Amino acid sequence: MDNMDYAKGYWNPYVAGIALGLVLTFTFYVMGTGLGASGAVARTAAVVAHSVSPEMIEKQPYFKGFYREGAPHPFVDWTVIEVIGVFVGGLISVLISRRFAVGVGRGPSAGVGLRLFMAFIGGIIAGVGTRFAMGCTSGQALSGGATMVVGSWVFMMAVFATAFAAAYFVRKEWS
Amino acid sequence: MGPLLYTGAISYETGLWLAFPIGLMFGFILEKAGFGDSRNLTNIFYFRDMRVLRVMFSALVTAMLGLIALSYAGLFDYNILVEDSLMKSYFWPQLVGGVIFGLGFVIGGYCPGTAIVGVASGKIDSIVFLIGMVFGIWVFAFGWPIWGNFYMSSDLGRITLWQFFGTSKDLMALIILVMALFAFVLARLGEKWGPYNE
Repeated sequence: MDNMDYAKGYWNPYVAGIALGLVLTFTFYVMGTGLGASGAVARTAAVVAHSVSPEMIEKQPYFKGFYREGAPHPFVDWTVIEVIGVFVGGLISVLISRRFAVGVGRGPSAGVGLRLFMAFIGGIIAGVGTRFAMGCTSGQALSGGATMVVGSWVFMMAVFATAFAAAYFVRKEWS
Repeated sequence: MGPLLYTGAISYETGLWLAFPIGLMFGFILEKAGFGDSRNLTNIFYFRDMRVLRVMFSALVTAMLGLIALSYAGLFDYNILVEDSLMKSYFWPQLVGGVIFGLGFVIGGYCPGTAIVGVASGKIDSIVFLIGMVFGIWVFAFGWPIWGNFYMSSDLGRITLWQFFGTSKDLMALIILVMALFAFVLARLGEKWGPYNE
């Protein structure tokens, strides 16, 4: 068992949760919708593909939704701007907490190569998942969960049930 | 009266200006919760440290009760939320999407928002995860002929749990609150159990 020093120095999880809940409440109060994250990655995927082949992407059945006639650039979007804020906010916290450190988060006996390979594979799988679910932990589980949306609760239960079950098979990555 | 965008109190442009400061607070709190590090995010699945459950459910319950409190105070029109701005539910795509996403979460070590904070923390694995996600979204987009119809299937419209179970909003919120408190107790017991500990 590792000593888990990396898990020290953070806020009490309930304090962090309540603070996050207040930000989410404010977001709903202002916008009528909640927080998001995966939408910004989807738009990035569209913009990168568009820079290679604009005509193909503007006709592509999924990506064409980001390139409608008269629509602004896909990055002129609430979630994209919010995610830029997430990056800057995270950076401020990391810097004032003196926690910035280049490294790879992995189990104490897992190799860097294995971990990076798994991060890439997991990223591909998670990317596909966010599109079917139309959101991720932020947009569906947290925001949809707080507003008691049926599909969001179905998503949340499926995410945790699968992750707890699959964890056994990838335990070498995290131990 | 909120939601301000829907009652016409603010314009969409004003809303866009608020996206950055809201994101700033979101990212700051995610980092302070420890979510810039994939180990803190996956420890829940090994019953080592259930902080993901604690943060997530306390945030969910706070916002759920916060919106209900605002609506009782006459500051928030919950009907607008339910009728106009709530996310739509698609049962099967969201169930399947959740299963796929859960796999990606435990294998990849991040979810999208926390990976952004991971990048800000200097974590190489979070950058690789996000690059993987872009590839995953391309896989989804270019596989559209295979699953495009499924993606929009079982459309339930805007539907809440209390409508689905035929109860009231307040009772549903109370049930979720009790479930969350129960989950917090289970989290503590799970850490004591520690099935993966040596």
